[in-house]
Amino acid sequence: MGELAQYLVTGVGIGCAYALTGSGLVVIYRVTRVVNFAQGSFSVFAALTVTTLLAAGLPHGFAETLAVLLAGVIGLIVGLVATGKPGTTAQSALIVTLGLGVFAYAVEILLWGDQPRSFDGIPGSVGGIQKHYLLIIGVTAVVLGATALLFARTDLGRALTATAADPYAARIVGIDVTRMGLLAFALGGALGGLAGVLITPVQQVSFDSDVALVVSGFSAAILGNLTRPGLTLAGGLLLGVVQTLVGGYLSTSYQSEVALIFMLAVLVARAGRRDVLEAA
Amino acid sequence: MKWAYLGVPVVAAVPLLLTPGQLTTFVLLGLSAMTVVGLSLLMGYAGQVSLGQASFTAIGAYTSGLLALHHTPPLLALAAAPIAAGLAAVVVGVPILRLRGHQLAFATLALQLILLSVLGDADWAGGAVGLQGLPYLSIGGFELDDDMDYAYVVLVGVLLVSLIAYHLVHSRVGRGLRALATGEAAAEASGVPVGAYRLLVFAVSAAFAGLAGGIYSFFLGYLAPGSFPVLLSIEYVVMAVVGGLGSVGGALLGAALVTVVVQLLTTLATQPGMPSYAPSVLSYAVYALLLIAVVLFVPRGIVPSLRKSP
Amino acid sequence: MIRVEDLVVRYGAATALDGVSLTVAAGELVALIGPNGAGKSTLVNALAGLLRPAAGKIRVDGRLALVPEGRHLFTPLTVDDNLRLGAWRAKNRDTGHIYELLPELEPLSRRPAGRLSGGQQQMVALGRALMARPDVLVIDEMSLGLAPLVVRHLADNLRERHRDGLAVLLIEQNARLALELCTRAYVLEAGRIVAEGSAADLAGSPQVAAAYLGLEA
Repeated sequence: MGELAQYLVTGVGIGCAYALTGSGLVVIYRVTRVVNFAQGSFSVFAALTVTTLLAAGLPHGFAETLAVLLAGVIGLIVGLVATGKPGTTAQSALIVTLGLGVFAYAVEILLWGDQPRSFDGIPGSVGGIQKHYLLIIGVTAVVLGATALLFARTDLGRALTATAADPYAARIVGIDVTRMGLLAFALGGALGGLAGVLITPVQQVSFDSDVALVVSGFSAAILGNLTRPGLTLAGGLLLGVVQTLVGGYLSTSYQSEVALIFMLAVLVARAGRRDVLEAA
Repeated sequence: MKWAYLGVPVVAAVPLLLTPGQLTTFVLLGLSAMTVVGLSLLMGYAGQVSLGQASFTAIGAYTSGLLALHHTPPLLALAAAPIAAGLAAVVVGVPILRLRGHQLAFATLALQLILLSVLGDADWAGGAVGLQGLPYLSIGGFELDDDMDYAYVVLVGVLLVSLIAYHLVHSRVGRGLRALATGEAAAEASGVPVGAYRLLVFAVSAAFAGLAGGIYSFFLGYLAPGSFPVLLSIEYVVMAVVGGLGSVGGALLGAALVTVVVQLLTTLATQPGMPSYAPSVLSYAVYALLLIAVVLFVPRGIVPSLRKSP
Repeated sequence: MIRVEDLVVRYGAATALDGVSLTVAAGELVALIGPNGAGKSTLVNALAGLLRPAAGKIRVDGRLALVPEGRHLFTPLTVDDNLRLGAWRAKNRDTGHIYELLPELEPLSRRPAGRLSGGQQQMVALGRALMARPDVLVIDEMSLGLAPLVVRHLADNLRERHRDGLAVLLIEQNARLALELCTRAYVLEAGRIVAEGSAADLAGSPQVAAAYLGLEA
């Protein structure tokens, strides 16, 4: 297979991790209006947990699943701390999640040290493409598809959307808004954990990888204003592909700036448009 | 402000009582305090969360460092630090200060990551190794070459920054900004030039950070992109929030409290028998727990809460 | 049925409701009228359990459902999804009986609620509340912003429902409509009940006529 095709598949694979991280941010933001700064920590925590579970002799698949579930539980805890106290504003909750992200550093260094870690993914390659990238793409497609079905086809998903759309009305019909928020955090935690578990075999993680991850996820999600799952997926894939192409054809040193500049451009362009609308 | 007149001579005596190790901490504390006074103003009055304040410290430090290495008189090189940082803030501020809340937080974080990456790749700035062999600061032929000298340079810096902040808060700009903090639409309706004031505070807070960065470069004698990690910006936010936003006293107390607690724990963690990772684990835990506890339980921060309750 | 006794609700130092008592028996249609800021919405939120009273008692026998002021539909969701969520607590989420009661909703069932007209939205809000199979229905400002013909249609629908034994508390600024539709009424002013009685008596009272019906006393 040609070089370009390899870059494209690799880019889509990396982009899937961004899309998963971004989707976690979107699920949490839609329901709670909180931008979860600790989103990258879920990925790091889950990935480091897998290294331990594999070392303890658990088989692949089982170790990863367990780590993703654990990330969901951690998401729930983050949600409890950030939104559990009545009267906490979204802005305060954002700073609390920032604090929780730093707290994760302490826990991660304590448990795993400060050196980067990794573990094996699926070995081998087809046509010059590592098979693991195909696994990332397949799993992401299934999980994001299932998430979309949850929101569109189940009453629980409708209740989550209802809470996002109008928390007052949700309370009127008897939906427990706080519980929906916590559920969103748990779901966001699991999505973040999955991103970390999938990407680590091709990109090692250390305790402070969370910043790059949350920034990439935010960049993916910002195209859809943190509320549109479809645009978040598109944004993540776009970023992954462009980054890989820039790294392949230009220079790897510009790779990390792609997401950052994209994010700034979208934010500033949108703010400009908002100003024009307000002035009109 | 009266307490400050009493406080100055007391604090001025402190460096004389410190051990060499404590003196280093004192200087670093003062440098943090200078930056945090600006950040506290920005977050408290302009209502903006900046997660990239250490960018301006870096810009100040690199400005001073590069100028000094290219044979500019050190005092001039130091004076250029806040100017460069302030100008940089104006340039990026025009587009990004239209953003609010989490958007601005992510934008400032992104700008810092870009700056760090650019510095790390720039040959003219020494790349990832950074700048080394910077001269000492010298004033009128007198070379400031020990920590005690820098303790007093920093004290003067903190005093200068606090006075500027105090007068800014109590000027027409300050009143306009207070109106801004209570409600943007109302402030705009009453003729406050919201955008210009917000940009001014952003530039001033950046200049404070830049001045601190300039002093830092002469104090340590070397610089690298790694000296200004994202975590440093988060530390500044922790200090500002803990002390109380929009309060000069709060910024100073927040910087002092966080620095001293972390330093005490680090001393504890470097005792024989403690694992090598203990200092970082403890300091991360302290930053995190202080930040979370204050945001949830003392939302206005320590100093404003003390002032309002008898 | 609803029984409210000496209800007091405060927001900080301000007293929004100051000793309000009222009852709505099963099968009864009762109106609560009063000017803006009298405390009507506070009473609604207290009845719905969304805020905690400072003193007094609220007793609701059976299930209470609320049609809130401003409708508060879940605008991105379809009409059918809105109805289903109305039964979130009731668990039986079959929407068939609502389409029988409000047949004009059936052709709209797949449309997002945000795309409907005001009258259609009010109908969905009513249907959503009825999905809970309530014993007591509280309707806050049903007529606000709606064309008179639409209001008339809604009112006819309500009369039908109340014949099934449903207790209805109708909170209205449009006193004429409320007094015409209901059998009894309360007048709430500045957090207190200042008048109560049969709708006919109140409509005949000079003060009420002057203040709420726009008639010269």
